[in-house]
Amino acid sequence: MPALVSRQEKCPLCGNAFDAEGQGCRPSCPLATGCKVVCCPSCGYSFPQETGWAGRLKGWLDRRKEDGR
Amino acid sequence: MTPGSSAAACPQPLDHKEIVAAPRTLVLVGNPNVGKSVLFGALTGKYVTVSNYPGTTVEVTRGTAEIGGSRWHVLDTPGTNNLLPMSEDEQVTRDILLREPEYVCVQVCDAKNLRRGLLLGCQLAEAGVPFALALNLADEAAARGIRIDVDRLAAALGIDVIPTVAVQRTGLPHLLGRIPEARVSKFRPRYDEAIEEALAELDLLLPEGRLSRRSLGLMLLAGDESLQPWLAARVSEDVRERMERIRRGLASRYPESLRYVVSRQRLAIADRLHDQVVTKGKASAGSALARRIGAWSTDPVKGIPILLLVLAVAYLFVGVFGAKTAVDFLENTVFYDHVVPWTEALLRWIVPAGSIQEFLVGPPGLPFRETNGFIIGKYGLVSMGLAYGMAIVLPIVATFFLAFSVLEDSGYLPRLAVMVNRVFKWMGLNGKAVLPMVLGLGCDTMATMTARIMETRKERVIVTLLLALGVPCSAQIAVIFAMLQGLSFAASIWFTVVILLVLFLVGWLAARVIPGRGSDFVLELPPLRVPQLGNVLVKTLARMEWYLREALPLFVLGTLLLWGLDRAHLLQLVERAAAPVVVGILQLPEQSASAFILGFLRRDYAAAGLFQIYQPYMTTGTMTRVMEIQVTVALVTVTLFIPCIANFLMILKERGWKTGLGIAAFVLPFAVGVGGGLNLLMRRFF
Repeated sequence: MPALVSRQEKCPLCGNAFDAEGQGCRPSCPLATGCKVVCCPSCGYSFPQETGWAGRLKGWLDRRKEDGR
Repeated sequence: MTPGSSAAACPQPLDHKEIVAAPRTLVLVGNPNVGKSVLFGALTGKYVTVSNYPGTTVEVTRGTAEIGGSRWHVLDTPGTNNLLPMSEDEQVTRDILLREPEYVCVQVCDAKNLRRGLLLGCQLAEAGVPFALALNLADEAAARGIRIDVDRLAAALGIDVIPTVAVQRTGLPHLLGRIPEARVSKFRPRYDEAIEEALAELDLLLPEGRLSRRSLGLMLLAGDESLQPWLAARVSEDVRERMERIRRGLASRYPESLRYVVSRQRLAIADRLHDQVVTKGKASAGSALARRIGAWSTDPVKGIPILLLVLAVAYLFVGVFGAKTAVDFLENTVFYDHVVPWTEALLRWIVPAGSIQEFLVGPPGLPFRETNGFIIGKYGLVSMGLAYGMAIVLPIVATFFLAFSVLEDSGYLPRLAVMVNRVFKWMGLNGKAVLPMVLGLGCDTMATMTARIMETRKERVIVTLLLALGVPCSAQIAVIFAMLQGLSFAASIWFTVVILLVLFLVGWLAARVIPGRGSDFVLELPPLRVPQLGNVLVKTLARMEWYLREALPLFVLGTLLLWGLDRAHLLQLVERAAAPVVVGILQLPEQSASAFILGFLRRDYAAAGLFQIYQPYMTTGTMTRVMEIQVTVALVTVTLFIPCIANFLMILKERGWKTGLGIAAFVLPFAVGVGGGLNLLMRRFF
């Protein structure tokens, strides 16, 4: 099954905000296991969830932004 | 996801007795991700039951709440944008409204996106369902300068409208106080005369139900097949045939599908209501400029220079910097000057001289391209697999993803889709098809999955075919850019024109050969803005991680395959077997057959193989006319191949074995045929 983290995502294409849970690759995809691609429920656009190294970079940037306030 | 018929066929409403005996029922409805479940939690507490809606895999959450001094049964329905179901989730929501015996609704709506909420609200009003409207996320809407005239909206709809912030429980006491008083909206969207006449005729034939006959009539006119089991249980076949005749008669009056016509007119009604009640705070000078550029970017005239500028900058960054400077540095300086010799030296130092060392890195003293070492050799895991993946493809993929993330974060990408919409319509596709086609430039496998957003089977098949045939994924674009750098401008033009012509012609022909009809394109445009560096970096890194996880294992697998064939002395056999096609038809060197074998794993891997053959001549500027023709023919043939094994499997899964194998049976000989034809043409006219 998709390796998505349940959290709020914002579609980069249509701007729809949604929970990533259950919005991953369909089980029919041959590469679904461990897949981090999220599919927007509004427009169908697919994009990889920002976890792993990207998630760490995002966390670091968010913390810097918080500290700067 | 396609709507299943099982939900509609479900004969019984949900069993309330499993929860608690409650005299009244409250159904929460709303668009996806508007805070409906948060509101449900606030109303019901933690004692809830989650179970599949009978006959489906869709989960419905049920609980009880104390409202107005009495116990209520509360149902949390799956998020829906429409009561005309497009998915099993949406069908379950519609069926709950259709089958539950007595209930009132609370529609939870995102105050930041009232337009979408009103589209659903219009349908609840049409359905004659008693409901109240919760304008959730009211705080975020206010922070964005969105002001909603709540009193005016309540007066227009004739129901209670309550701003809420469900996570903070703001507005919930007021909402709870109004639920027992929920009433049927007096708002009645009116459609054009022909639709109203058809609705009046249907009104005489449709049975009484929980939803109004007008609402059922609209579902019927829009061709909602999932309603048929419910109707079959209530009216005779003769009556259903009469209703179908009314629907067909109306459909023949419009060039578009009735679903689209009804949705478009309803959207216009929701838009008018939205504009009456929503005002936005004064826009800053920056946002005014962004809005103006945003408007230009979708203008048929002003949008073209913007599009050309975007493409030129993207080409300079990806095609010149990524494909030339970065590849040259990573491949020659990093890999072949350092990584490969260092790995070879390390392995010779660790593994004592002998057969194992020779197996891993080949005999000492020979250049690695002349040995068949497992790690370092002509087909070595490091010297070929990693070098292809990390030094040739990755730098271009990284620059492509960076450029793509800038476009995505700026909000230009959907505008690009609108701009190229007109062009793609000539190829027998409607505007919505642009989305998977643009996505295909990132990954054809993902894009094939995204083809589900197309409404008709015909459109899905055409999009899948064109993706498989001529839309190169980012990794392949990467290698194509690298190859085109070494060719003359004229050869690059030949390549580009042939691929575009093939796409246009095949799309145009497919639109006429494949039976069925098309639909129209609606895409919400987010505001245009300056891309945020942090967002762009995070998005790029996420995509690169995804690329490394998905593509590199296939690169290693491809290298192992070639190494195995070479060790078993089968590679020459394969090359000889492929010679009639590779040498005879395409007039390419025999060794390029191995690149085509890799093409079955990934197209970019095949292109990287071709790149390896011709790179020495490109670097030294000694490419001959014949070589230029060979590279162009090889690139066109590889581009028209099935993108990769993952994409092929996805095609089989999504479109079925028959269509999938049909596409493959067309694409493979077609690719070779076009390559052969191009070879003849170029040898005569280039």
